[in-house]
Amino acid sequence: MKKNIFYLTIGVVAVVLLAIFWYSVENFTPLFFTVAFVAGVILLYLAYRRVEDFVEDERSARITEKAAMRTLQVFWVCFCAFSILAVMNLIDMPRLSRAFWLNRGTAVVAPEVLPLRLIGYFQLALLCLMIFLYVGFRIYYARKFGDWETDEE
Amino acid sequence: MKNKIKVYRAMQDLTQEDLAQAIGVTRQTILAIEKGKYVPSLDLAFRISRYFKVNIEEVFFYEDGE
Repeated sequence: MKKNIFYLTIGVVAVVLLAIFWYSVENFTPLFFTVAFVAGVILLYLAYRRVEDFVEDERSARITEKAAMRTLQVFWVCFCAFSILAVMNLIDMPRLSRAFWLNRGTAVVAPEVLPLRLIGYFQLALLCLMIFLYVGFRIYYARKFGDWETDEE
Repeated sequence: MKNKIKVYRAMQDLTQEDLAQAIGVTRQTILAIEKGKYVPSLDLAFRISRYFKVNIEEVFFYEDGE
């Protein structure tokens, strides 16, 4: 498979996924979109393995490796902090609420529960953060290892 | 790490693209090595020097103070 055909495949898969997303929202079938998304990613991976004119040498592998490592180093801190917050909210820990301590632990205080929907939005924001971090680090290392160097040739 | 890839290329009248294709890397990698932006692995360094039919020390060398 040629590189351009692979890029076309990405476009087609993205459009199909968008249509499925719309259908899932309209008919409230989120599982359908989840399955379709995983299937789409697997399809793209299989297509990627068939591309013949991609040249991936040790420098590009090193750029990917470095960017992924740095992304993980920054992302796990954010993800861990959010996960702890989400778990504390999900298991209703009133002892950690501000109101509980203001009442010196005597009053029965309803826990400050983070709505489940908000947790979903936070997760989406974290996903965007991960993508931004990866793209940023990739640009940084590509630049560092001479991706945009010009020559007299 | 410095290198003389550009000199050897000029001696054999090769473009960066020719050398890149011959040793299976991208032109950008050859350019990055020549400019000292990227230090190649030992394997790639050997492949480059073998392509020019010289010892690795003749193409790549380490300068004091680096």
